[in-house]
Amino acid sequence: MTPQITAKNYSIQSRLLISFSVLLFVFLGLTGIVLDSAFRNSIEAGAAERLQVQVYLLLGAVEEESGEFYFLEDLQEPRFSQLDSGLYGFISRASLGELWRSDSALAFSLLDAHIFSEPVAVGEAAFSKTMSAEQEEYFVLSYGILWEDGISEYSFTVMENAAPYYSEISNFRTSLWSWLGGVALLLLLMQVLLMRWGLSPLHQLARDLKRIESGEKDQLEESYPRELQAVSKNLNVLIETERKQQDRYRTTLGDLAHSLKTPLAVIGGVMQSLAGKPDEVEQQLDSVNEQLARMNQIVTYQLQRAVKSNNANTLARQVNVATVLQKVIGALGKVYVEKGIKIETQLDPKAIFSGDERDLLEVLGNVLDNAFKYGRQKIRASVESIGVEFSGLKIIIEDDGPGISADKQEFVLQRGARADTLLQGQGIGLAVVTDIVGSYGGEIKVESSELGGARIIILFNPAALSG
Amino acid sequence: MRLLVVEDESLLLQQLEQGLVKHGYIVDVAEEGKTGLYYATEYDYDAAIIDLGLPEIDGISLIQKIRAAGKEYPVLILTARGDWQDKVAGLDAGADDYVVKPFQLEEIVARLNALLRRAAGFSKPKLEFAPLSLDIAAKRLMVNEQSVDLTAYEYKMLEYLMLHPGQVISKTELTEHLYAQDYDRDSNVLEVFVRRLRQKLDPEQTLKPIETVRGQGYRFSLAES
Repeated sequence: MTPQITAKNYSIQSRLLISFSVLLFVFLGLTGIVLDSAFRNSIEAGAAERLQVQVYLLLGAVEEESGEFYFLEDLQEPRFSQLDSGLYGFISRASLGELWRSDSALAFSLLDAHIFSEPVAVGEAAFSKTMSAEQEEYFVLSYGILWEDGISEYSFTVMENAAPYYSEISNFRTSLWSWLGGVALLLLLMQVLLMRWGLSPLHQLARDLKRIESGEKDQLEESYPRELQAVSKNLNVLIETERKQQDRYRTTLGDLAHSLKTPLAVIGGVMQSLAGKPDEVEQQLDSVNEQLARMNQIVTYQLQRAVKSNNANTLARQVNVATVLQKVIGALGKVYVEKGIKIETQLDPKAIFSGDERDLLEVLGNVLDNAFKYGRQKIRASVESIGVEFSGLKIIIEDDGPGISADKQEFVLQRGARADTLLQGQGIGLAVVTDIVGSYGGEIKVESSELGGARIIILFNPAALSG
Repeated sequence: MRLLVVEDESLLLQQLEQGLVKHGYIVDVAEEGKTGLYYATEYDYDAAIIDLGLPEIDGISLIQKIRAAGKEYPVLILTARGDWQDKVAGLDAGADDYVVKPFQLEEIVARLNALLRRAAGFSKPKLEFAPLSLDIAAKRLMVNEQSVDLTAYEYKMLEYLMLHPGQVISKTELTEHLYAQDYDRDSNVLEVFVRRLRQKLDPEQTLKPIETVRGQGYRFSLAES
């Protein structure tokens, strides 16, 4: 099942990135629009001004005689005389329509010529846009004048093709938006980098916590930024408390074991001193003894189980397996010195157990104790790191004793399910081992060894094998 | 055989003491580590039984201190928790074997016998000095495969001598290892025991297993077979 991404579990990085991007696009977009329209306005204002100049030019050179307009000399602006030059001059009167047009406009026609019949107030310039018959856009400036006779009102109109202006605007627009786009990308990139840098202590914190979880580290370092120091300090306190609590838990249970077992030992002693009484009493004593043995076994088993199974994988520490194994072999070698057992070891000195050393000691102690107990001359122990990044651990202990028959191999491991079904004298060792290995998510297998006895295979983190 | 037992639970200590005395051991007891350490380093014992969960000086420190003081007699630890952490730590500190509580006295005695035998350098459960054979577990002497009856003190003396073959054992040492502290130490009694032992082991006086070393003590002089 893949976790559903909702607004709640967006990472801080994407939250910041999304909000910054929105802000950036709104800001740069508005800037672009404002700049664009300002530039457009200024271009149009420039065009109007130039047309105004052309109107004055026409005004200065025009002659009139009985309602006919003509120019004595060539106009200073050659484009008025060039056919289709894009700059056209007109003189019109609202009541009469067009009266004169420049040579350049001889082939020019408007889509809608009504502008010549609209009166323009005297002394005022009207700037507008219109379309030619060829669907080209033109800037139009009409200027109203009162002729020398003091009666006649004429309009002087100059039109100029808007295409060059528009292409200037579009050039500007292209470069404006590409600049703004570039700036946006640059800012986004910087934002990502800044965020990485700003959030790196959090990533570091997460990595460190992971290391603590896997046992590579004991504590968070002190080198966090001020804002995180309170958090890291509190976490350290929490980790420490948790560890102490685990220790206290074990100590309490250990003390409980101690305080329960010593009285049991005393009662056992008393029972023994009562032995040899008449048959009737003896029988009853036997049943009390039996119950005593059961109580003892249950106490032992349940306490060991309780101590072990709760703390697997919580705030593990790294334990060197070879060292612990050597320690156990050294200790057991002393106990079983008379058997003169030969021990072959094949130990990967770098093999690591992520967990509590006591749990590993318990596992190796119980398994090796069996090997020493049942083995005749030889024990073989091997430890290796396996799988992806050597994160798995494989421990094999074999002996040359009588072994465990195939039909019982499963049974010896499962027996721990109910301690009170154990018969007196049955070991609880392997059951405890199974519990511990299970609490770490590991696997334990019993096979027959080529040495002749049992082969116990213990895998920790077997998932590392399949990747 | 003189034993030191350090155990803080007085009832259990009492039971152990009584049981071990019944099995023929001389037993000194201590209820806490300090007294235990004093006895352990001041006197010469054949073996010690030490509980790991002691107040003040814990069992493991006690064993370390005993070993640091150069005492090499075997140490048997008693552990209530029974986890391997304790066992390995105890054995690492210098103990030789462990027994998990609660236990049967027979188990303790069997382990002790094995430890004593091992400490004396014998690997088999019987001490064989042909034609003598001493079964420590059964506390039985065979001469030429015939069982020979010994009194408790005769047995204790012979066992001690046979566990230290070839060594000269002074009368003081013998007294210390065979009698409780408050016993009236009259060396004449030892001489009587030796005389009786010689008679039982070697009525024809051909073997001469126990030599008298003038001014020094006694020596068991048969070769191990």
